Amino acid sequence: MRKFFSNRRLVILVLILIACFGLMAGSVSMRNRRNTPPLIQQFGNDIVGFVDSVVAIPVNAVQGGFSSVGQLMDTYSENRELKQQVTELAQTKVRDQTLAKENKELKQELKLNKSLTDYNTITASVMMRTPSSWQKQLVINKGQSNGIKKNMPVMSGSGLIGRISEVNKTNSKVELLSNTSESANRFAITIDGSNGQTVNGLITDYNASTGELIVGQVSSKAKLKKGTKVMTSGMGGVIPRGLYVGRVTRIGKDDYGLAQKVYIKPAANMNDVNIVTVAEPA
Amino acid sequence: MYRLSRLKYIFPLGLFISLFLDGSLSSVWAKFFFSYPYSMMSELVLLWLVFSYYFEEDIEIPLIPFAALAGIVFDVYFTGILGLDIFLFPLIVELTKILSRYFDQSFLTVIMIFFIDIVVFVTLTYWAYLLVGITHMNVGDYLVYTLAPTLAVNLVYFVILYWPIQSIYTWALKQKNPKRD
Repeated sequence: MRKFFSNRRLVILVLILIACFGLMAGSVSMRNRRNTPPLIQQFGNDIVGFVDSVVAIPVNAVQGGFSSVGQLMDTYSENRELKQQVTELAQTKVRDQTLAKENKELKQELKLNKSLTDYNTITASVMMRTPSSWQKQLVINKGQSNGIKKNMPVMSGSGLIGRISEVNKTNSKVELLSNTSESANRFAITIDGSNGQTVNGLITDYNASTGELIVGQVSSKAKLKKGTKVMTSGMGGVIPRGLYVGRVTRIGKDDYGLAQKVYIKPAANMNDVNIVTVAEPA
Repeated sequence: MYRLSRLKYIFPLGLFISLFLDGSLSSVWAKFFFSYPYSMMSELVLLWLVFSYYFEEDIEIPLIPFAALAGIVFDVYFTGILGLDIFLFPLIVELTKILSRYFDQSFLTVIMIFFIDIVVFVTLTYWAYLLVGITHMNVGDYLVYTLAPTLAVNLVYFVILYWPIQSIYTWALKQKNPKRD
């Protein structure tokens, strides 16, 4: 039998292995350091993104058709409930407008131009999801040319779902909160305690089995109630204040019993995302 | 004669449709594919490559360059981590070629070879991600929660798509033959 690993084959195999791991390590570290990938990679992404939309748009349309048939079934009961909510919503909306106006005037009085709560939104639709068990990542159809920058927070429907991890000219990648990599879910959050105190903290982990976000190292002694709403705190620059994250589900002690750990149930379902909103600090 | 056959259009078209369908289906059926604790990876590209190798008959499709091209697209657009699938897709084609020498072509042998392909592909991906530090999943969890569901979903694809794709290839090859006579 012929020797399988002849000298030439072995050399080629080693070269391929080196190239493979070199490229992988290079692109992983590049991704963490740079704001945008190299131009050629962006270019490739843009072209492929264009071709992808040819496949993605029909698939999304078909899925939209199926889900609208499904929704038709419970239209009647939903409609009754929603009608009640609409009357309340109109009131809230008017009040909201008045408050926003007042807020603006007061800010002018104080000569405060911008605060952490000001942000604009960019709406994008999801083109595809990485078919991988280890990367919880979406590709959306807006990019640099629409004003998207790396690390901007991404929301879907009811709450925060992740952050922008790679920006190309016409599309970008979103890392979901449920991703296990180290940088995906580090969001600065704030929670109102029951006695007027607030707790500030940083999301440090995601528990996949319960679907909960974990805020580690909370040293504040403020009392937190189950079900309290959690928002981003706006500290750290890129992320505006007041984006809804989820609700507190339970409070525990950390491994050494010194600090508190707060568990948060995210408001958005990260497995059911079609349209996303990217928040851009004003 | 790949250049003269209808496969010149059908093969690349199918390759890229299956590639983008992987992404779209993962997004549309995310609830089903990524319901905790299982995660299934849709690998229609590999399915298309394996089927093309078996159904091409006497036409030799340049599978390896196309597999590498699909790998580049997968790396750049799908994962954002370069240098893995560009080598893995051609490797799987090569593996299929080597394995097919030992077996006759029938539904059962093709499904067995596809099974081995998926195991090798997913395991190598896992191993590389583990080395680079993208995942910290342990081997037990990997086997039970990733590999097993992935195999299940891809074998279902295989069973559903075997005859349709075979008939597409028969049709494409039949068109060519009268001209030759």
